[in-house]
Amino acid sequence: MMEYARMKFYCDESRCIECDGCSIACAEAHELPVGISRRKVITINEGIPGKEFSTSVACMHCTDAPCEQVCPVDCFYIREDGIVLHDKEKCIGCGYCLYACPFGAPQFPRDGAFGAKGAMDKCTMCAGGPLETNSEKERHLYGQNRIAEGKVPLCAAMCSTKALLVGDAQSVSNIFRARVAARGKGANAPYGWDKAYKNQ
Amino acid sequence: MKKYLYMFIATLALASVAWATESQIWGEMRIQNILGYGQEESLKLGVLFTFLQSKYFAWIFLAVLIGVPTVFFVHYKLVGPKVFPHSHKKHYAFNLFHRTVHQIAAISFLVLVPTGFIIVFGDFFGGGTLVRMAKNLHGIFTIPFAIVVIPMALMWLKEALFNFEDVKWFMILGGYLSKEKQIINATQFNAGQKMWYWVAILGGITMILSGAMMFFLDFKMEMLHNLTGLSQIDLLRVAAIVHNVMGFAVVALFITHVYMSMFAIKGAVNSIITGYVEEEEVKFLHNAWYKKLKEKGKF
Repeated sequence: MMEYARMKFYCDESRCIECDGCSIACAEAHELPVGISRRKVITINEGIPGKEFSTSVACMHCTDAPCEQVCPVDCFYIREDGIVLHDKEKCIGCGYCLYACPFGAPQFPRDGAFGAKGAMDKCTMCAGGPLETNSEKERHLYGQNRIAEGKVPLCAAMCSTKALLVGDAQSVSNIFRARVAARGKGANAPYGWDKAYKNQ
Repeated sequence: MKKYLYMFIATLALASVAWATESQIWGEMRIQNILGYGQEESLKLGVLFTFLQSKYFAWIFLAVLIGVPTVFFVHYKLVGPKVFPHSHKKHYAFNLFHRTVHQIAAISFLVLVPTGFIIVFGDFFGGGTLVRMAKNLHGIFTIPFAIVVIPMALMWLKEALFNFEDVKWFMILGGYLSKEKQIINATQFNAGQKMWYWVAILGGITMILSGAMMFFLDFKMEMLHNLTGLSQIDLLRVAAIVHNVMGFAVVALFITHVYMSMFAIKGAVNSIITGYVEEEEVKFLHNAWYKKLKEKGKF
């Protein structure tokens, strides 16, 4: 059997300059409706000297993803490389995944009947959905499937300071360690890793 | 009553205004929403909700759905129904207003309960259109129930207050465990009915409010944050937990209510349809009320 790499996001807090480029690149690449942003840059401890930092958050594609555990219609599926995807045609827009998510990632466009919440939308790590790869319908519902084309997810590809990285766990860890060693500080795991990857 | 109605309308109005303004979940508030997740000093509601929803809620609903009717099936086979003659004198106990309010609530429940189960067992039904439709109906049929719940609460409040006789009723479970017809000294509503009244009214209002929170999701109510100190997503987590837990009680007693009126006391359901209660039923099952009615020269 083939061993799959575990795909992870890593945002280097000492490199992120809060330019919001990742968020806009994502929204444009996937032609997201207004009001939906799968990725968002947040600044934590704003105004507190020495403690303030910015980071980019989206779906972290967690290990044992809580969203997948709570979904009443079981619309989530986790790829062998760890990418957490969902079936928008199964999703009923109940909101449970949002309550389970540590990162506030699932969003709900109000396009259902009587202003009800429509199917959930979140970051796919540019890996599309359960439909035929690179089909028109997949693109319409989930956005680009760059992974299938062998490309890096757009947010990380365009990050100007290379703060945001995405890749297999081993490569990401190597870069993280190298950067920490070079800086001689900041050995703490980046924001969200404890919740998403249980620090593994 | 008007005050509550205004409060309810204000809640809806506030919620719809919130759509147009800044998001309480994904905007600036996102930091507040996600920073506390799983931290020692927080209530760990995200972890708690995930644990309960993934491990327990659906199973408890399944246990209620199968368990409660099974108990009643066994009761029906072993003890059997109580049959009272329907040819005797009758008393007009429920006027048109009572019946209309009750019937609107009844129709709402007949939609709310099955659609709720379809959502809970959504994976069994394969998700998609059917379950989405159930979710929408679950929301729409909340409206008629929300309209009648306060009038219903007020019109039966006096009869639903517990008294000392109710303790005795609970000790013998209203005499429903014996085949004999016993004289039960209950007023217009016995302790079981009173229990259902409180679960349907207080539980029902809780279901409406927690359900509305989850439906509107991205609403803004400063008051709730100040009162509870919870972030928007934490409020929603509380709403989801409360909605499920209260759901167990409401569904269990709803099934009981249907069983008692349709099967356990043969034909008792007719009283809420026609408005007339049977003399024999009242005499045996609601003797305190019977005596009162007799004094007034009814029957």
